[in-house]
Amino acid sequence: MKYVTLDNLKKWLDDLAQEVDLVAPRDVDGHVLYRPVASSAEILFEYQRPELSAKEFIFPDTEVLLRIEKRRNEVKQEEVLPERKQVIFGLRPCDAHGFEVIDALFLEQEPPDKYYANHRQRTTLVGMACPQMWEGCFCTSFGSGPDDPSHLDVMLREVEGGYAVEVVTEKGAALVADLPLEERPGEPPPAVADGEQYPVVSPKQWREVFNDQIWMRHGERCLSCRICTYVCPTCRCFDLTDRVVEERPGLVRIERIRVWDACTSTNYRRAAGGHNSRPTKPDRIRNRFFCKFCYYPEDFGPLGCVGCGRCVVSCPVDIDIREIMVDVAQAVSG
Amino acid sequence: MTTSIYQPEMARLVNVEQMTALEKLFTVELPGGHSLGHAPGQFVMVSLLGIGEAPISITSSPSRSNGHFELCVRRVGDVTNALHKMEAGEYIGIRGPFGHGFPIEKMRGKDVLFAPGGLGLAPLRSLINQVLDERGLFGRVIILYGAKRPSELLFRDELEEWVARDDVECFITVDRGDDTWEGHVGVITTLFPQVSVNPRNTVAVTCGPPIMYRFVLMELLGKGIPETQIYLSLERRMKCGVGKCGHCQINNLYCCQDGPVFTYAQIKGVEEAL
Repeated sequence: MKYVTLDNLKKWLDDLAQEVDLVAPRDVDGHVLYRPVASSAEILFEYQRPELSAKEFIFPDTEVLLRIEKRRNEVKQEEVLPERKQVIFGLRPCDAHGFEVIDALFLEQEPPDKYYANHRQRTTLVGMACPQMWEGCFCTSFGSGPDDPSHLDVMLREVEGGYAVEVVTEKGAALVADLPLEERPGEPPPAVADGEQYPVVSPKQWREVFNDQIWMRHGERCLSCRICTYVCPTCRCFDLTDRVVEERPGLVRIERIRVWDACTSTNYRRAAGGHNSRPTKPDRIRNRFFCKFCYYPEDFGPLGCVGCGRCVVSCPVDIDIREIMVDVAQAVSG
Repeated sequence: MTTSIYQPEMARLVNVEQMTALEKLFTVELPGGHSLGHAPGQFVMVSLLGIGEAPISITSSPSRSNGHFELCVRRVGDVTNALHKMEAGEYIGIRGPFGHGFPIEKMRGKDVLFAPGGLGLAPLRSLINQVLDERGLFGRVIILYGAKRPSELLFRDELEEWVARDDVECFITVDRGDDTWEGHVGVITTLFPQVSVNPRNTVAVTCGPPIMYRFVLMELLGKGIPETQIYLSLERRMKCGVGKCGHCQINNLYCCQDGPVFTYAQIKGVEEAL
């Protein structure tokens, strides 16, 4: 195996932080979050699953797409496409998997979303294998696992005194070209992938449960708080809106921004005039899960869940995607 | 990289005309008078800088483009209320055209029955005028139009013209009449018994408020028109217009890309469509 000592890794990260936008797990007031870091001293090397996914660094929760300047009837529009390289260090495999799910729609369906594509292209993903599965995790139900390198550019696994380094892609190879690697005998031990397996029912079979009582049972208590979408590495619905940032005689500066939206919110579906084609909470909860397990895979390929378990631990009323998977499987087999 | 999919093109309002208390007709010119290149039934995102965007169907026919296109807009939300305050000479942003319109090539040689309700006339007018401009290529042209009140009838000049034409069978009704109204009173379905059709050779096109579809579809199916020959234009909240933002998703269909025009056969078994 290729190996790097913790000290050498830290030095390399300190240099890297000077050259790129470096994002890594940090302690923020007792919360583990992926955040921009200025040096390796700020990085957590032992951590569980960050409380939020790293989605916001590729698909920001609020993103300026266009800067618009309006002078009377003269309008100038400038696209905002950051060029600086970005490295997400310490990314958990489920979060990298989440990007691949969004890619299927934002990159592979016409027309591609150039803002998302730009972030994807400027970013290199350096993963850190989970030594074990954490509370609520069920990534193994989706053909992945706590040390699955397949959606990353580089994968690190903790071993005695340092890390085993697996280069997964060419982009990853270019990034770690100057990382001092040693050759060591043996391979890193596999992660403990002992999480429970939950049944994934085919999109076709999901259609059988559209009118099942499941949705009333789980959806009734939903608070429409949208935290499930906020923490989800694959949810990608958005709203486009404008905000005026400066207004004076003869000149208005406007930003066209994209913000995350959620199909579980009351107004998501409301058309002008008030018609709402998903008027109740069970309607909206049903859509959330149909999107993930039926519509998204049918339309774009991948399932819309990677088993990160964040919605499981975040939901204030304990709506548990794993319970829904079980209920659906029971409903179609019963 | 290509132009942003979210970047509007600035277009000039050539003319603004009050149609009813709630609706105005906007005539729009793209830079240099270049063509929008739309098909009947498609829509654009109207972009008011600093306020936002709204999806609006194109009401003018490509056959009458003349360097302009027309939008018939009800003031009902932030964008449309602001648009209603604008005057000729001012500029709006346009993105599009988006979606799939009416497949006019499949309608040629057939009888066409239009059943617009209320503001549903706006997208259908684009197709109606295209059909009338190619009148010889179609069989019968039947228009059954219903509005709530006489004061809410849209495109009154054109309605009169259609009623007057020998080669168009146009019937108009209002849910509730007033002192000036001498025409038919009743909901749109009360017009259907007035026409008989050859169902195999008839294509039906309808657009209106959600509640209308159920009843109009019963009439159309009752006349024996095949489900594959009934076209509907659906309204959904749309934000991006390019199948990304999720809002207009109906099951695994995206109204903005797969629609807004669907056949009844396409959406019949699709939950949340109607």
